[in-house]
Amino acid sequence: MQAITSESLTKTYRSGRGKSLTALNSFSIAVQQGEIFSLLGPNGAGKTTFIKILLSLVHSTSGQASILGKQLPDTKVRRQIGYLPESHRYPGYMTGDQVLSFFGRLSGLSNAATKSRMQPLMQLVGMEQWRNMKVRKYSKGMLQRLGLAQALINDPDVVFLDEPTDGVDPVGRKEIRDILKNIKQQGKTVFLNSHLLSEVELVSDRVAILDKGKLLKVGTVDELTSTGSRYQIGISGALPESFSHETAAMVLNISYATNALTCELKTTEELNRLIDLLRKHNVAITSIVKQRDSLEDSFINLIKREVAP
Amino acid sequence: MMLIVLITNTFRELLAKATLVVLASISTLIIVVTLLSFSSQTTSDGVSLMMFGTPVSPALPLDKVTEFVQTVQVGMAKGMFAGVILFGIFATAGIIPDTLQKGTIDLYLSKPIARWELLLGKYFGGVAVMLANVVYFVGALFLIFGVKTGVWNVGFLFSTLSMTFAFACLFSLVVFLGMIFRNVAIPMIGSFLYLMVISGILQQREATLYLISENGIYRGFLDTLYYLLPQISALQENIANQIMHTGVDWKPFVFSLGSSCLLLGGAAAAFSRRDF
Repeated sequence: MQAITSESLTKTYRSGRGKSLTALNSFSIAVQQGEIFSLLGPNGAGKTTFIKILLSLVHSTSGQASILGKQLPDTKVRRQIGYLPESHRYPGYMTGDQVLSFFGRLSGLSNAATKSRMQPLMQLVGMEQWRNMKVRKYSKGMLQRLGLAQALINDPDVVFLDEPTDGVDPVGRKEIRDILKNIKQQGKTVFLNSHLLSEVELVSDRVAILDKGKLLKVGTVDELTSTGSRYQIGISGALPESFSHETAAMVLNISYATNALTCELKTTEELNRLIDLLRKHNVAITSIVKQRDSLEDSFINLIKREVAP
Repeated sequence: MMLIVLITNTFRELLAKATLVVLASISTLIIVVTLLSFSSQTTSDGVSLMMFGTPVSPALPLDKVTEFVQTVQVGMAKGMFAGVILFGIFATAGIIPDTLQKGTIDLYLSKPIARWELLLGKYFGGVAVMLANVVYFVGALFLIFGVKTGVWNVGFLFSTLSMTFAFACLFSLVVFLGMIFRNVAIPMIGSFLYLMVISGILQQREATLYLISENGIYRGFLDTLYYLLPQISALQENIANQIMHTGVDWKPFVFSLGSSCLLLGGAAAAFSRRDF
């Protein structure tokens, strides 16, 4: 079942002087239930606008969207949604527990249900010992952890997280990644919006790249980071002088470094022929690694291609 | 249920503000001073009223005592009304702009509550805080005067509702301006300007603004404005009449209720269309 769908969703902001800005341009996407889906894009790409339309914070100009099969806008479906905004402001006079209690009740939970979820959630986000401290005394990392607990207070089926690790230390980030994986294991859907591409790469099942309101690419991390047939071959022993001449026909690109050569091949058969050639010259092979870009490299390359005339 | 959660939260939010602590402290001071200083002594000639043990009136018959107590209560109610409006507007003018701030509104609107519900929760939360303050002040003074003089002026007790109603009407204007302009200054200045100048002038328009022109459209516009906006000055006069039992004019209540509904409806309509 699809957790989130959008069909030709468009949002145009109009200013009073007849100027307009299209933040989202005929954006269509489908997020499956139980996956961690990340939306990437440079600043102003339309990522936040998309989340805000799904949460009814922004009205779409045209197109349709649905969450858990319910056509939006739908107030009731928000009982099954959790949301951690990028910049959240909790009332400073409240304690962590009071924040959870308040937002739990606003999510439609009974007082008893809210109370029963508060302690385990604070424990989950590592905030148990600061439960009764006023929020105004919290550090940014603590606020972020509280925000995550707030987003999960109603045991949502779909969780939207906008920069969830912002201001959190590396240990905390690892904990948050583990929490996200745990949520996914429970069959829930996580919709992630983050600038930390290395983290997105670690947790996401699928990633969509958005620029200037348009969807550029969507796929698994593997699909987005694959570079084709580029391999790094670890070798031991010297290459013969004739090697470069012998490989000219089979490899597209080849470069040598100490104990390693990196090559781009047309097919897997060419790889096997290259291995045969190395073995024929008594060059020991210590490793063969298929090369791939980091998500960050893929992202930057894709955006650059879009910007290029 | 959501509405109650929102009202309770707004109540707590306002109680955390120093402005209302000051109002409650002033109320407490007046209550304590009245409790300690005011007393009466019944003699065969009537009742003698005393301040700090010193008689401030000769022995009066019961109807004169009642009149005296009612006059004192009118003064106190007027003072309380000014306090409620002054401190109340200071404390509550930020409710809507604060709610609409990025980071706060995102959290509210991601929950299963309708926008109008959020608006009403904030509105009634503000009104509930002022009702609590007024009930505390007037209720305590009602008991003190009742016990010490035997004058149990129910009109004074019911003035709590009139005062809160007047505040609620003005607060609807604050909410409307807060929703339109999304800052604290304009609702605060606007409501004070309306309270101090516009409301009074509109009420006295026949003796003031009518003199500028005899044009029917102009005068019609003034009349429309008067009936469309909360009639705070008339409501204030009604509070005194209620305490003195000299008859209450219900028209300002009805028109002010209508105009408050209109202002809140306008605020809700603007809220429902806005992107955040």
